[in-house]
Amino acid sequence: MGAYLVRRFGLMLLTLFGISVIIFTLLRIVPGNIVDILFDTAGMVDPAEKARIAADLGLDGTIVQQYVNWISGIAQGNLGFSYVSEKPVVEEIAPRVPITVKLALMALGFTIIFGVPLGVISAVRQNSAIDYTLRIISLSGLSLPAFWLALLILMAFVAWFDTIPIYTGRPASLGEELALLAIPAAAVGFRSSSLVMRLTRSAMLEVLRQDYIRTARAKGATRQSVNYRHALRNALLPVVTVLGIEAAFLIGGLIVTETVFNIPGVARFLVEAIRSRDYPIVQNLVMLIAIVVVVVNFIVDMLYAALDPRIKYSD
Amino acid sequence: MAGTQYESELVRAGARAQGAWGQALYLARQYPLGTIGAVIMAFFVIAALAADLITWRDPLATNAPLSLAAPSADLWMGADVMGRDLYSRIIYGARISLAVGIGSTILGCALGVLVGLASGYLGGWFDLLMQRIMDIMQALPLLVLALVFAAALGPSLQNTIIAISIPLVPSVARVIRSNTLALRELAFVEAAQAIGMSEWRIAARHILPNTVAPLIVLATAQLGSAILTEASLSFLGLGIPEPHPSWGRMLSETAAEYMRTAPWLVIFPGIAISAVVFGTNLLGDALRDLLDPRQRG
Amino acid sequence: MQRRPAALLAITFVLATLAGAVAAFIPPAAAQEPKRGGILRLYQRDNPPSASIHEGATFSVNIPFMGVYNNLVTYDTTKDKDSLDTLVPELATSWSWSSDRKELTFKLREGVKWHDGRPFTAADVKCTIELVQGKREDKLRTNPRRLWYNNVVDVVPKGDHEVTFKLEQPQPSLLAMLGSGYSPMYPCHVNAATMRTRPIGTGPFRFVEMKQNEIIRLARNPDYWKPGQPYLDGIEMPIITSRSTAMLAFIAGRLDMTFPTEVTQQVEKDIKAQSPAAICRLGPINVSTNLIVNREAAPFNNADLRRAMALTMDRKAFNDILYEGQSVIGTAMLPGPAGVWGMPEAMMRQIPGYDPDVAKNRAEARRLMEKHGYGPNNRLSVKISTRNIQAYRDPAVILIDHLKEIYIDGELDIVETAAWFGKVARKDYAVGLNLTGNGVDDPDQNFFENYSCKSERNATGYCNPELEKLMQAQSAEPDLEKRRAMVWEIDRQLQEDVARPIIVHITAGTCWHPHVIGFNPAMNTSYNRYRFDNIWLNR
Repeated sequence: MGAYLVRRFGLMLLTLFGISVIIFTLLRIVPGNIVDILFDTAGMVDPAEKARIAADLGLDGTIVQQYVNWISGIAQGNLGFSYVSEKPVVEEIAPRVPITVKLALMALGFTIIFGVPLGVISAVRQNSAIDYTLRIISLSGLSLPAFWLALLILMAFVAWFDTIPIYTGRPASLGEELALLAIPAAAVGFRSSSLVMRLTRSAMLEVLRQDYIRTARAKGATRQSVNYRHALRNALLPVVTVLGIEAAFLIGGLIVTETVFNIPGVARFLVEAIRSRDYPIVQNLVMLIAIVVVVVNFIVDMLYAALDPRIKYSD
Repeated sequence: MAGTQYESELVRAGARAQGAWGQALYLARQYPLGTIGAVIMAFFVIAALAADLITWRDPLATNAPLSLAAPSADLWMGADVMGRDLYSRIIYGARISLAVGIGSTILGCALGVLVGLASGYLGGWFDLLMQRIMDIMQALPLLVLALVFAAALGPSLQNTIIAISIPLVPSVARVIRSNTLALRELAFVEAAQAIGMSEWRIAARHILPNTVAPLIVLATAQLGSAILTEASLSFLGLGIPEPHPSWGRMLSETAAEYMRTAPWLVIFPGIAISAVVFGTNLLGDALRDLLDPRQRG
Repeated sequence: MQRRPAALLAITFVLATLAGAVAAFIPPAAAQEPKRGGILRLYQRDNPPSASIHEGATFSVNIPFMGVYNNLVTYDTTKDKDSLDTLVPELATSWSWSSDRKELTFKLREGVKWHDGRPFTAADVKCTIELVQGKREDKLRTNPRRLWYNNVVDVVPKGDHEVTFKLEQPQPSLLAMLGSGYSPMYPCHVNAATMRTRPIGTGPFRFVEMKQNEIIRLARNPDYWKPGQPYLDGIEMPIITSRSTAMLAFIAGRLDMTFPTEVTQQVEKDIKAQSPAAICRLGPINVSTNLIVNREAAPFNNADLRRAMALTMDRKAFNDILYEGQSVIGTAMLPGPAGVWGMPEAMMRQIPGYDPDVAKNRAEARRLMEKHGYGPNNRLSVKISTRNIQAYRDPAVILIDHLKEIYIDGELDIVETAAWFGKVARKDYAVGLNLTGNGVDDPDQNFFENYSCKSERNATGYCNPELEKLMQAQSAEPDLEKRRAMVWEIDRQLQEDVARPIIVHITAGTCWHPHVIGFNPAMNTSYNRYRFDNIWLNR
């Protein structure tokens, strides 16, 4: 197992290195940079000044030089400065992370609370009316664009409750903040809970067909105990795996949802930073997301290996 | 094989399923949700193809007096702030959505198949390298990757298709690669090798057809997510630019601003996106059941 | 007969102004002592590029940060228009011209302190002007208004509390520019880079923080020189980039005020329907939608084709579609009654494309096109470039519709904001749809900034040396009536040259809940009225 771990870890680092190169190169082939934007917000100004600003921002070196500067900066714990706010990148990103993490965890909570039990019900009652209803609901969950759902929710809130659940300033307490995040989290979580519901259902059905379940039934175990003690436990395995992948998908949903609900989290920040060509923010933020995704997948793999005796560590 | 499973389903249904209609009817009865999906998809495809025939207003023509007009007998879905007929825009929008969905799926699958086949068949350092590249692509969420690509390529129809197709590559490549690996071990490939067929011919003649079923399942699943991603990109202003009637674009700032005075601007494009994705999902489910019984639910 | 409507209009206007003036003195403000305290909450529509007003050219900087600074002079916020007649003292207590009108001397207010406690003196005035002129070693990162002070030869302090501006030639409008929200005084002892992130001013509010995409906060300056002011404890501006979300938040009462100029006619209707007590003021904001035309490359290096394009534009249709007919059709200078310098309507109608008979204009345009071989079977393809922002895209879509009428097929070329500057600088466009805001309603600012040969902000590179002489002459002209006639003539020539055809002067506005007292946006500019020192909350 030790060797396998080391190997997986090595691959992980390799992947992250590749991402850093790709994102860095992509950003620099994007037409226009921050200097253009600064000039744009100032209406046209003296083109001779452009070179000076580019030099100030370290944008005048070759792309390789710039890359080396970035990576060696990271090695020294210096992520650079945001081009837009001129504050250290850490200061810009760090306060936004907890907001997005809270939102993502709440969405994941919704996913598990609704997805798993409804999936089980759907499987146990296969082909019943309730199964069909749940399947259609879960399919619509996968079909509604997250931002549309968010817009509809906002419309409904203003029309019926005369209030709007958007962020217009730091909430006074944690409770207030969670209440504010609950609605966007539900909007994001709808999609993932639909996915988990479908997966749980098919995994359950698969397991229910297996021999040992039949054996358990033959031995006279009650239906309830078969369903929940034997089948569910085994069915959860693939669900755990997918939850890992879904964590990456959640980020996509978070981008649009944070935009609609005006939540100052990292997901929306990324879009804004791409727009304003704030390279230091985009680079480091994308790396952060990639690290989270890669690490989550790594953990899920380990969990999977630990849970499923059939997997060997030799790969 | 795609054909065989489908045949076997029919065989199980017995001799009653005669002729094309009989088969279709049988499948429709067996997969009611899938049929609904197929009907929805057919509806949108026909609407997209016949857009010129079933609309009577130019989707791009602006018209001051009709600004934010409510739905009526002439303007079925009302008009947007520039007085453009929303019904025409939705119908023409089907072209854009389907073009992006199908285009990016085909492009993504083609690239994925190429990478997957090469990687599975050639193995060795090439496989290792490709696997790492696929790892890299999968480590970034679809929308994040598409966002960066869309920004890099600039907003246009082709670029949106490319931006969305790229994140699809690794999942296709993965499936093709593992199928290729599994099939390589099978007897008929060994036999082909024994009689001296070249590797590429074996790949083209034997391995590719055997991977069609999982590919179709994957492609239908991708179709829906490609359409959703296009809508999200356009919503964020990085997808299809004006004046193309993209559904996602229609839902962005302009519509949202008037969502209480003119709720139809928000409702109809949203329904269109949801319906078409719902259709692909239903159809995808049924195809998966039909073609890939191992995953049957 | 033709005079009558104009006279009637004038009378109506005078009455309206009187009513406005009376109304300005009567409302609750007069009835009640201002209450102190409370935080004013208005949203900010985007991330301001910095807090340094001298480096910005958008009211996304002025609106959140004018409260941090003061000018030498400013415009009277109780008046409806900003003009040379409505200037009032701010850091200067009085000003006077020398007899040759080439020296302008300000007496400065005593006892004024910067937010860091250091005293404000005449040296700071000199520093500020020289910083903008680019004469100091410390440079502004971007310097969009250098040429506002081209005519200033020297700034000479006399003691701590008197300063004289020495001019190349007389320039009455120098005061107009000094009164703009774009002309705050900066301290000598703080460098230009620091002003972007931690600005120090003398204004009613101190800078607290600016968090990207989240919030901007200002807090009361307890040492403000105006006795008893500001009334507010502070200002909070959450950054909300989606206008629809922002308006919902305003309607739901989470905000006291919208971002100024973000309310359109349609949005106003919506707000009024939901929140009938809200007060909304819409008017021209001295921002025009216009076309930048590349005169150096085909096809629009051809004067006939430029003229044809000018002729096919149906300005009324633009106005009706985008602004429910509430915007103002005019030339470079904002037309009356809101504007001070716009030419009379009869004169404007003589200019190609301004005749309300669109069919006739287009027939002439088609003749011009046909003269160069274009026709229904030989159509001209042109790219219409514009930025990926709604206020730019929407008129571009309409323009394409109008070009169709004269054998031109326009294709929309949407450019990300980041790429726009480069494209325009490279002249990599045929026609671009553009928005131009004018910091003050004044010909010196507008002509020199947008049409003079040496201006860095002259996007099209239009250069007409003859006209430039006339621009200089009007600038020095002390007689207001004579100057006005010169301005009209310059404006007319600019339009006939299709230098930068103006489509429409945008009308937009601001809404606030009735408990916000004292805000009075000007009807001829949108850059100057955000000091917020006299605003109070009646809660």
